[in-house]
Amino acid sequence: MTTIDSGHIAPVQAERRRPYGLLLVAAPVLLVVWLIIWPIISAVITTLWVQTPEGSEFSTGTYQFFFSDGYSLSNLSVTLWTTGVCAILLLLICLPIALYLRFSDSKVAGYVQGLAIFPMFVPSIILSFAFIRVLGPNGTVDLLANAMGLPKIRSPYLTAWGPVIGLVWDNIPLTVLILLSGLGNVSNQAIEAARDVGARKLQVLWYIILPRIGNSVLVAISFAVLGIFSSFTLPYVLGPAAPEMMGPFMQRTFRELFDPRNAITQAVITFGFCIVFGLFYVRSVAKNRTP
Amino acid sequence: MKRRDFMLAAGATAGVLMMPRMSFAAEGVVDIYFTSDQNVIDFWTNVVKPKFEAANAGVTLNLVDGGDGAGVSAIGDRALAALASGTDPQADLFEGFDSRVTVGGIDKGLYVNFKEANLSNYSKINPQAFDIETNMPYRGSQVLLAYDTEKLDPANAPKTWDDLVAWIKANPGQFIYNRPNKGGSGGNFVRRAIYAVNGNDPSKFTVDNYSPEADAEMLTPAWEVLKDIAPSLFEGGAYTSGNTQSLQLLGQSAVTMIPTWSDQALSAIDQGVLPETTGLVQLTDLGLPGGFTRLAVLSNGTNKDIALQLCDFLLSEEIQSAVLSELGGFPAVSWDYISADLRERFADIIPETIPNFPSGDWEKAINDGWYRAVAPNVDPAS
Repeated sequence: MTTIDSGHIAPVQAERRRPYGLLLVAAPVLLVVWLIIWPIISAVITTLWVQTPEGSEFSTGTYQFFFSDGYSLSNLSVTLWTTGVCAILLLLICLPIALYLRFSDSKVAGYVQGLAIFPMFVPSIILSFAFIRVLGPNGTVDLLANAMGLPKIRSPYLTAWGPVIGLVWDNIPLTVLILLSGLGNVSNQAIEAARDVGARKLQVLWYIILPRIGNSVLVAISFAVLGIFSSFTLPYVLGPAAPEMMGPFMQRTFRELFDPRNAITQAVITFGFCIVFGLFYVRSVAKNRTP
Repeated sequence: MKRRDFMLAAGATAGVLMMPRMSFAAEGVVDIYFTSDQNVIDFWTNVVKPKFEAANAGVTLNLVDGGDGAGVSAIGDRALAALASGTDPQADLFEGFDSRVTVGGIDKGLYVNFKEANLSNYSKINPQAFDIETNMPYRGSQVLLAYDTEKLDPANAPKTWDDLVAWIKANPGQFIYNRPNKGGSGGNFVRRAIYAVNGNDPSKFTVDNYSPEADAEMLTPAWEVLKDIAPSLFEGGAYTSGNTQSLQLLGQSAVTMIPTWSDQALSAIDQGVLPETTGLVQLTDLGLPGGFTRLAVLSNGTNKDIALQLCDFLLSEEIQSAVLSELGGFPAVSWDYISADLRERFADIIPETIPNFPSGDWEKAINDGWYRAVAPNVDPAS
């Protein structure tokens, strides 16, 4: 490309190319505007401008209700708790897996990678019922523990830990893949150099590897958080009846309480939390673009 | 072939493949959307579809799993929009659907009024099953108690509401019901508790007598009863999120007793999901409520007339008997229109009365009230 630019026909080509580029971008941008941006704007409008017999009227009533209603707030806080706990657990589980996959060249690594990616191909509804069978009361784990003479433990099924375990398992593949791509940026030479000057394993991790994959960690966490915050199936099947996570809460408000305005308000509030993590992601992508 | 040609060809092929999806509904293909569970769709696939297609040459029933109520109601909303613009809704019949759900649908004439549709079998419908004229009942089911006879002697199984509450309290951790909005088995258990604190009188609740005052007076005591038994439930007050999960817990022997739909329990025993040793019992002071599953026909559907013929066919003795013998539900027509030997065979699940709790505002009040008053009893950290 650069060789053509330096030639005398370059200006003509550049001019011809420009509208094509914009046209190619136009389709996805229009789709995003139509399917994502516009619904957001319309949701905010629906919740803030109330239809009254005299015409529409500005009101923050539903937001005031949400933030003064203990039940709604406890749902929001359990969602934040679940998301936070899942994010921490994901990092603790996936970082070692990714490090192992990056630096091991044994045959086993291939199998580990396959196993780590496997959850991606399991639909969450199937995962939920399998979870009840395995970790639920009198499930496989209970039976094994019993066979080994261990005491019966309380199953995480129908407690707040149920969705946590399910969501972590479900999000392992994406997190591992993103961390792994980040680890690709860490050159072997840099690590060998550090080792040559006597760095121990933990020091290599802390001073060489982590600074280089900080961006990937941020991207992986924001992706996981965005998915977990608004997750539906796993908290619905595995979680307790109350407090509910925002996903099931919204669905119930909309479908069973026939209250679209409050449901949309809950969605806007959920979106408000998610956009913070979205901005993290956008910021880190933008930072990568301008070295 | 050049890469560019290949891309063009592939794009064109993909476009052609997508075309049938965008075309109009075909004449003679009746599009039926289901909200019911898989066992019901299986019943249609194996019984209703072959019989109806054999009797009506050139007609095909296209059975589509609409997922849940929300899925089908979205199609209902789309049909309402199609009615306004005079286009084809690409749907004909909704199964397990309340035509009231589509806001403004009945007023605008979106759904066929069955009373005026001159169905030959319409008069056979059980008077208890009638709802509104745009909903046609075609099968019924009732909630009863399923229990493990190895842990509980059938002779000691509770027969009245008070016995049941006493049993639950005497056997902590052995009973679970699902969240009332997530499946009828738990929902009707909760409704039975509401009847119990209102003198076991179903007539006190009608579609249009809801008011906030009545709510406080008639529902609040029931929340107290349910809160009172919560610590004696499975794990000190856990609630499953659906009918199936309750069956699974009974099947895994994690609990001794659950409320369940009669048809689901019978087919679960049949398929081995529940063991042979599962016992079924109905309360005798007042049965656990049940309900009828209803159909709605779109007035602007391409195949409206065939859909109505199908509705009439569903009320015929042939299909109504199959509902009993194949599906484990009970018929929507009066028992007189069912053959005597079937009546004999299913005598134990034939209810004399089926309390049917009204939907609408009461339902909404229960869905909200239970979550706020009863469910938070659970400490999520425990």
